[in-house]
Amino acid sequence: MSVSNLLENWSDFRHTHPVDDVPHNPYKWAMSIDLDACSGCNACSVACYAENNLPVVGKEKYAHGHSMHWMRIERYWDEDISTEGGRDFPDQGAQFLPMMCQQCEAAPCETVCPVGATNHTPDGINSQIYNRCIGSRYCEANCPYKVRYFNWYDYPTTDNVWPAEMNQQLNPDVSVRGKGVMEKCTFCIQRVTVAKNNAKNEGRLVHDGDVQTACQQACPTSAISFGNLVDPKSKVHRQWQAQQVELNKDAQTKDKAENNEEGGGSKEEGGSLRGYRIFEELRPYPSVMYLERVRESAV
Amino acid sequence: MKDICEDIAWAKINKDVLKSLENPRKLYWVILFVAIAMVGVAVGSEIYQYMDGMGVSNKNNTHVWGLYIATFIFWIGMSHSGTLLSAILHLMHADWRKPIYRFAEAMTTFSLMTAGLFVAVHLGRVWQIYYALPYPNGRGIWPNFQSPLLWDAMAIFTYLSSSILFLYVGMIPDLAICRDNMNPGWRKKLYTAFSLGWEGTDRQWRNFRVTYLTIACFLIPLAVSVHSIVASDFAMSQQPGWHITSFPPYFVAGALYSGCAAIITLFIILRYVFRFEEYMTLPILKKIVRLTFAIAMVWTYLNLIEYASVWYGHDQASKDVLIQKAIGPYAPFWWTMNFCGTIVPLIMFFKRFQTHIPVLFAVSLLLNMGMWLERWMIVAPTFSHGYYPWTWDHDQWPSLVQWGIVFGSFGWFTLLFMVFCKVFPSVSMYEVKEMVYHRSQATKKLVASGKLATAGLNADNLNADRGAH
Amino acid sequence: MNSGSIKHLIKPLAIRLSEQTTLAKSLVMVGHPFDRRDFLKVLGWGGAAVALSGCGNGSVEDGKETVVSYVETNDYMIPSISVYFNSTCAQCDAGCSITGRIREGRVLKLEGNPDSAINRGKTCGLGQAGVQHHYNPDRVRAPLLRTGNSGEAITWEKAYALIAEKMNGVSGEEVAFLSGGVSGHLKVLLGNYLDSFGCKNHFVYEAVGPAVLRAANKKSYGVEMPRFNINKAKVVLSFGADFLGAWVSPVHFSQQYAQFRKGVDGQRGVLIQVESKMTLTGANADRWLVVRPGTEGILALGIINALGAHGVTLSGDIAAAVKGYDKERVSKDTGVSAEQIDKIVALLKERTPSLVLVGSAAEGYAHGSQNAAAINLLNQVLGNVGKTVEAAAVVPFPQMAPLTGNTAALKTLNDGLAAGKYKVLFSYAANPVFTAPGAMKFPDNMAKAGFKVVFAHYMDETAMQADLVLPLDSALEDWGTQVPEYMAEGAQINIQQPLMEKLHAETRGMGDILLALIKLRRAEDYKKYDDYYAYLRAAMLQNKNALGGGADDDTFWTETLSKGIIKVAGTKQILSGKVSAAGLSLPTPAAIDAQYPLQLIPSVNASLRDGRHTNQPWLQESPDPLTTIVWDSWVEIHPKKAAELGIVEGDIVEVTGKNGSLKAQAYLFPGIHPDAISIPLGRGHEALGRYAKGYGVNPFQILDTVFDKETGELALHETRVKVSKTGSRVIVVKDEGPVGGKQMGKKIAVRVASDKVKLSEEV
Repeated sequence: MSVSNLLENWSDFRHTHPVDDVPHNPYKWAMSIDLDACSGCNACSVACYAENNLPVVGKEKYAHGHSMHWMRIERYWDEDISTEGGRDFPDQGAQFLPMMCQQCEAAPCETVCPVGATNHTPDGINSQIYNRCIGSRYCEANCPYKVRYFNWYDYPTTDNVWPAEMNQQLNPDVSVRGKGVMEKCTFCIQRVTVAKNNAKNEGRLVHDGDVQTACQQACPTSAISFGNLVDPKSKVHRQWQAQQVELNKDAQTKDKAENNEEGGGSKEEGGSLRGYRIFEELRPYPSVMYLERVRESAV
Repeated sequence: MKDICEDIAWAKINKDVLKSLENPRKLYWVILFVAIAMVGVAVGSEIYQYMDGMGVSNKNNTHVWGLYIATFIFWIGMSHSGTLLSAILHLMHADWRKPIYRFAEAMTTFSLMTAGLFVAVHLGRVWQIYYALPYPNGRGIWPNFQSPLLWDAMAIFTYLSSSILFLYVGMIPDLAICRDNMNPGWRKKLYTAFSLGWEGTDRQWRNFRVTYLTIACFLIPLAVSVHSIVASDFAMSQQPGWHITSFPPYFVAGALYSGCAAIITLFIILRYVFRFEEYMTLPILKKIVRLTFAIAMVWTYLNLIEYASVWYGHDQASKDVLIQKAIGPYAPFWWTMNFCGTIVPLIMFFKRFQTHIPVLFAVSLLLNMGMWLERWMIVAPTFSHGYYPWTWDHDQWPSLVQWGIVFGSFGWFTLLFMVFCKVFPSVSMYEVKEMVYHRSQATKKLVASGKLATAGLNADNLNADRGAH
Repeated sequence: MNSGSIKHLIKPLAIRLSEQTTLAKSLVMVGHPFDRRDFLKVLGWGGAAVALSGCGNGSVEDGKETVVSYVETNDYMIPSISVYFNSTCAQCDAGCSITGRIREGRVLKLEGNPDSAINRGKTCGLGQAGVQHHYNPDRVRAPLLRTGNSGEAITWEKAYALIAEKMNGVSGEEVAFLSGGVSGHLKVLLGNYLDSFGCKNHFVYEAVGPAVLRAANKKSYGVEMPRFNINKAKVVLSFGADFLGAWVSPVHFSQQYAQFRKGVDGQRGVLIQVESKMTLTGANADRWLVVRPGTEGILALGIINALGAHGVTLSGDIAAAVKGYDKERVSKDTGVSAEQIDKIVALLKERTPSLVLVGSAAEGYAHGSQNAAAINLLNQVLGNVGKTVEAAAVVPFPQMAPLTGNTAALKTLNDGLAAGKYKVLFSYAANPVFTAPGAMKFPDNMAKAGFKVVFAHYMDETAMQADLVLPLDSALEDWGTQVPEYMAEGAQINIQQPLMEKLHAETRGMGDILLALIKLRRAEDYKKYDDYYAYLRAAMLQNKNALGGGADDDTFWTETLSKGIIKVAGTKQILSGKVSAAGLSLPTPAAIDAQYPLQLIPSVNASLRDGRHTNQPWLQESPDPLTTIVWDSWVEIHPKKAAELGIVEGDIVEVTGKNGSLKAQAYLFPGIHPDAISIPLGRGHEALGRYAKGYGVNPFQILDTVFDKETGELALHETRVKVSKTGSRVIVVKDEGPVGGKQMGKKIAVRVASDKVKLSEEV
């Protein structure tokens, strides 16, 4: 590889997403999470620990903010709960939100990595190359969701993280990360890879349902859907379409309807949509669509 | 208030300056010893951090950066003073810079070296630091040219090499003087080698002037770009409180500001330690102080612009960060920063303090503290109060390991600087001679034209010792 | 990368290719002196409701157990390719079927088995952590005999000999066997073992089980555990039933809940949760109603009364029972506003069918049974019985049906121990030293038993008191059958099978131990079974026709193991239609005790439960869903009450009751009644292992020993305490940020009113 080669292929070396002239083909992995179904039970998070060799850091390190949960469940109260003049009790329950890497199309983390350790795959996954990472942590600094987790210590050699026997549970398909590298949710890329290889061997594309992420597979309420956004038959595609959420737009029908903008359709129609993406206005073009939690108005 | 004597003999200049290489005051050794001890603290902390992991610095997944980046910016900023005094003022023909530019240039070089260390100290996997270099390799893996951090690495590398060159080239005539006046020994060999056979011929002087001027011209845009790029690390990101358009000039102003303040500090120290009272005179100090004051006001203006643009802007997240700075857990530091950066320099407005050494010493330290805090207040509050409320962290403070390394970096800088001053002439002999000559010529002209009647000045005497070299 | 630090310990996987069939052979031997009835009993089919086919009519084939080394693997064992085996999750008693992913002979991950009607391929966090139970570094690895204060590792022969010696001359009356809930063949074997020496003292103990509910259901519906069809209900009114968290069969209910939210006939289900301390289910409710602790039954009667006033016909006895429970009084007693009651009544009337659930929050009082009866009455009034409360199918083999535990059993045992009735005590799958209220003085009473044998995975608090500790195989190493108490659709028997070779040579399966013990008594009956596996296989083959098997034993057996579930034609229970409401009486809420003004609610966390799994680090580090606290206990206190007492988050407070006190960090929690505080159960271990010991406090220790008047169950919520500041303060270790779960005006987790959306049009 010469510098001239680099310069000639500059556009391939890095291209900005989303792009209309280079659409994802044949895969674009995406997710949708129905917050009305999510009960906040944490099963997805534990499943993620099991699948992705996440270290249990212990109380002290957790206290210092060194936890490694790629999938975290956030619990929100309404803004006026137990405030001055507000409601005393959360009489409409809490709001739960599973938060993991949003696999942004225009990922803020990707552009800033000095060594290109975090990249966009052709499948639209924001990948992390552990071997390449030098630990500048610029990616996490620039992540609006703060869903990247740094190996502040060398967990494989830390006492009681994977003591004898416990280490036998480690998933051989996933690297165990040493100190000084950044890591994050990969959309269970090891499972995606297997599914893709299997499909390839059979001379076909991956069907919807061939691959499940660990969180999706565990989720007792099936709140998480994962699949190929390009495949019109996939549930994720149909969900995104039904909610009129488009990957490469920074304002969706729903937002436009709420803001009375053009193209938003009637306020009522736009308002009946539940799909939204978090921090759409920052234009990271996340690959995860959330469906708003619904609360009964009659009681 | 005495300025440099225009009738000072050239041989005396040589003698005075060369004396600084031999027997400084005792304070020199005290400073050197303290500096070494401080470096020891840093080295110990770094070894601990290297072995155990970055976690011991008490950063976390919210506060991924800490004092290292803040101090890195601080040292980069510090480096601008040398370029300002040597290059900008050189081009502007400000002759008062001549006795002091040498140490300012040394400051540039050494603060850059210190800053460079922070890049390494900051990395999670410092042993792979070479990944950031665009070296040709069979796998076609390149660093990410989109990343401001990579621009940073390149800019610093360029700036550092240019600064070293500039310092060295400007020192060649003086090294020759050292060589000629030194008793045989390692020093003589060192100066002989480094003076590159300088004989002071016309051709050498001509080439020297051209070279020096060229590097100076090259260095000015470089200096401006280097800190603009450091500012890009923040301005190019998407975080509230960071993506501010005015950051590059703001950073450059801050850099010049802290650099000038550091020059005042070192001016006062060197003046005493190496008995340079005759060269580093109070009128020169006064000029630096006035310059510093001017830059302080520029910085204050840009600082207020930053606040105003955030305050009147539409970005609620940035506004929240600003409010958080003013009333949150960082408030004491933030207010101290504003106080030190904006209020303290007002002292320099008063004439009687412009040459008041104890006051200026204290003021210069306060200014530098303010500027260091400024960098910290750019880095930390954004992390503590970013876009995502769930991960806000208002109570994560740097551990002793971080403080130890930051503390030690000051020792490291001082150590390098003090060793330099002891080994190389920290006052430019040939430029002081030029300065004296030009001033006396000017005086002579004035006397001749009758505009100045001065009894004690004998123009002929001024040139009597010209042949000493 | 530091990949060198992963020690891939590749162990050869032993696979039983074909099995010990000498047993089967012996069965067809004509004239074998084998009493058929006894035989049925031995194998667990005694009293079976289906006719047994003639024994031993399968093809008999010679074979032997083969251990295949990794050098000579089976076809399906390819390095780097995963194989999957079905088994049953043993982390709780819900009986979810799991599929273990095995690679290079190591089990790596557990997933739900999609074929199970209970969990349909899903798992909870607790289930996911099952591998950490198996690989736990703190497992007991050899039989330990107490010598002084330390345990000495001994051989199994010695251990069995010792038990035989200690049992010698001891009558059945003088032996007590304490266990957790058991079912399937293990229950059969255990029963047979106890019978072998005439012991009737089997105490089945569950520290946090729904025992009052069972009794109340039995009264109201005629069955202990009917099926609750959340997915068919349009409104679910739950009185503290944490069905998404830790109640009965949470993974099953979670799926039903998801369907319920999608809606029946396009109408999204509405969940109303009534409780004094918000549970995970409460946090998901459309309307969460905080009630004064203990007044759940009053509210239920109030709702019935209001329903009557709104035109629902009430039978005479019910009308009489709810007389006087008018809105004003109910509102005053419970703290739920009259308007709110009206809204609920309107909703219940308008949207049918609905479903009313009774949970631990309503059960845990001295009048718990009355509370539960009153709430069950609501189902009757609303006509839900038969619609959303349905009869469950039951496995037609009563001998295998689950023995469910309760706390009354512990009390009986404790009284017996205190009286010195027992010379030998066995304890299996229970940790009473940890979970018995301190006031019961269980450890002291236990010491009165002459010889204490504890079957243990870890050195838990009870094992620490034992004379002999017998190490058990993990659930992923052991054989077994399990019959869930809560049956989803149709009846099923779950198969538990090893997912990998044993990690430790000296652990034994509980079935194997019981078999060894029973052989000491009735060697003749059981000598044909070399191990529990042989017993189990023989038992299953024996009845394979009833279990839906074909002609070929091996095919049947392989298929059964492969599926991990046996679906059987269950017998349908009959729900009693109508129960008289006479005799229903609820106490008026007691005035606040001046000395101990607060009600202590020990909460059951979905992953830690009663504390048996606290040594699984994933569970310790998995934040509590509501407070997001990890690795520690906390005292939930309402912000208003906290302000009154001058308590802020992180204050170490002392919680003092009549039976002791404990100190823990305070957490200001809006989802709790101001007159109550809550401390989660499961932490505060003094033993168990490195991830459990020394983290948090154990609220079991300070519980008042108040019992439900009808069932004798420990009333978990009846403890009254006071809270005082100790002066010290800590930083609460939690995932939540400094703004305590506020979104600060950002659009992160968004909510919409149900009348705005069209769920039926969604994908």
